[in-house]
Amino acid sequence: MTWLAQLLPHLVNGVSLGLLFALLALGFMLIVGVMETINLAHGSLFALGMYVAIFLITPQLGWFPETQAAYLALPLGTRYAIALLCAPVLVGIFGMALELCMRRTYGRDPLYGLLLTFGAALVIEELIRVVWGSGEKQLPVPADLSGAVLIGDLLYSRYRFFAAGFACLMIGLLWFFLEKTPYGSIVKAGAHDSEMVRALGINLSRLRLFVFALGVGLAAIAGVVMAPIWGVRPGVGVDAVVPAFLIIVLGGVGSLWGAVLAGLLVGLAVGLTGAYASEWSLLSMYLLFIAVVTFRSRGLFGKKSVLDT
Amino acid sequence: MNDRRKLLKTAIAGAGLYGVAPFYGPWKTNRAWAQSAQKKPLVIGLTMDTSGQYAASGAEERLGAMMAIKEFNAKGGVLGRTIEALHMDTETTPATGTRVAERMINRNEAAFLVGAMHSGVANAISQVAQKYGCVFLNTNSSSPTESGKDCHKVKFVWDGSGTNFSHAIVKNAMKVNGKNWLLLTNDYVWGHETSKATRAIIEANGGKVVEELLVPQNTRDFASYLLKIQQIKPDVVATAVGGDDIKALRQQVVQSKMNMKPAWINNQQDWPDVYGLGPEAIFGVFGTNWYWRLDLPGVKEFVAAYQKQYPGLGIQTPGNVYYNGYMATRELLRAVERAGTTNNLAIIKELEGLKVSARDRMQHFDAYMNPVTHHLQQTIYMASYNDHPAEKDDIFKILAQVPPQEVEDKASITTCKLEAATPSYEQ
Repeated sequence: MTWLAQLLPHLVNGVSLGLLFALLALGFMLIVGVMETINLAHGSLFALGMYVAIFLITPQLGWFPETQAAYLALPLGTRYAIALLCAPVLVGIFGMALELCMRRTYGRDPLYGLLLTFGAALVIEELIRVVWGSGEKQLPVPADLSGAVLIGDLLYSRYRFFAAGFACLMIGLLWFFLEKTPYGSIVKAGAHDSEMVRALGINLSRLRLFVFALGVGLAAIAGVVMAPIWGVRPGVGVDAVVPAFLIIVLGGVGSLWGAVLAGLLVGLAVGLTGAYASEWSLLSMYLLFIAVVTFRSRGLFGKKSVLDT
Repeated sequence: MNDRRKLLKTAIAGAGLYGVAPFYGPWKTNRAWAQSAQKKPLVIGLTMDTSGQYAASGAEERLGAMMAIKEFNAKGGVLGRTIEALHMDTETTPATGTRVAERMINRNEAAFLVGAMHSGVANAISQVAQKYGCVFLNTNSSSPTESGKDCHKVKFVWDGSGTNFSHAIVKNAMKVNGKNWLLLTNDYVWGHETSKATRAIIEANGGKVVEELLVPQNTRDFASYLLKIQQIKPDVVATAVGGDDIKALRQQVVQSKMNMKPAWINNQQDWPDVYGLGPEAIFGVFGTNWYWRLDLPGVKEFVAAYQKQYPGLGIQTPGNVYYNGYMATRELLRAVERAGTTNNLAIIKELEGLKVSARDRMQHFDAYMNPVTHHLQQTIYMASYNDHPAEKDDIFKILAQVPPQEVEDKASITTCKLEAATPSYEQ
């Protein structure tokens, strides 16, 4: 049983990592699923969420010094909660502006949208460098969330448990929104047949604007949650967009539970290889991807096309 | 159906775009040189990263080189020629390093190449430089292979190597912390060679490497490594992890409260990687070849010149990376002055015989170029986080200074085979 005791912490770690990967992919999945647009700026918006959160936790503007001092006197936990709520909203508004720019690409070759979001990714990264500089930054974490917990005789980061729990909450909320609310039904209908949705009198432009903002907001939330784990650098978005892309294809484009399952599988693969064959830890996610897509090209939960029958 | 096909095609194109992302341009050149009565400017190609894993350090070493060039231009350049700095981003990518070097030599008529953080990039640049005979100064890549098996007649290495830092730190750490070591190694040439040197010193002193865990480049999640380390329970963990990877590792070590136990040995900590971080993020013992608060003549003036030249920068005090960029470029230009020519063979001869006094280097001991390996032998400092900073940015506590003779990489003398024939090159 010693081997099981040795393995168990790595399984727990793999699951928590998987939940974080799933959180990373949620916004990407939503935008691809509903708008059929591959948002290559997802990673940069993820990074922007981190920086906006740092600003909201430790604002350094120089204007209204008294207000700023009063704000900074608030407990770190309160400022962290404000950042967790407000950073996605602010980045989501930024995302709305991006969506307005994208409108000219709708109905055209998808490459136009791809190039536009790729360009936006570069612009956002440079914007971050200009505003916040190129150096490493740290997002302060409330004392209650930092430190380690002892599992058996092993120390494990308390914040990672919080992050994994928060990822579960976000997955649950998104599921509830999509499955149990009328607006979620409209979003899903828009993904299924956007022309019919328009014919039924629903404002498709507004729907797309909302979905894009929601997807971007989810990217920013993932950024805020991941910041204390991955660190904050202008180029950190590239680290996020590649696994997010892989997870949504692995899970099946547009499938919420597909993305969650794929995230968990990728997390377990990376976590276990990290422990037992560390040089394969990054490669393992790509090998998993190849193995799944070879036998099931539409991904784990992807919809069957008429050609498959 | 059509839509889905289109989407898939787009997905492939998207993946492709990200694949080529590191190669996007445009190339930057300062200006084309026009024929005039003036002597042709001396072009120095700065092969430094402004993107990728070593972007932050690449920017700092560029500032160092620019400062040395500015100082020479202020006194009329060198050999009556003004010096032009031409920078291109090597993107922390060896293939880009090759292209940049080719372009600088063939199209921009660079007389010399200066710069490199990543050993793979440094090696790629030096292969091109050797083909043409263009002198190349590796400013900040510290893989032992750079002055070992990958040495070249045209290449001179300015930073301390992983072996130098291991010599300075490992023996002492074995006495203090214990004999069971775990190596955490970045899975590329610098990591492997540095850990190899560390392993050799551990074993030569009666210690034991209980495990070596390889860390692929661009690893962001270290939780599985940290759990494994706890299961193995080594006395000391020696890391050879660099760039953005070490930043993520550091953050996660601190979060897991593992920064005090086991003991951590970080081979070298580059200033841009730790600048602005607090005690919770800088842990263990590490090496450096310079610190901005060394109590030595010239250091204060050097720091003041940096702050005057580059006000408002994120990094407000210079560190080892900037220092290496500056020192390498300064010594190159001095060598040109002494040789009275830009001919590569004359410059190589000058640099092979280079001796720099401790005062001139702002270090504790005299430095000298090893003519067999083309590696500058210099003082190595052992440092840790400074719990009692005297002022802002005083984040290192220098524990000891080790003279170059005590940290010499003797293996490189046998592994380095400099080319007997090198093409003559002059711009």
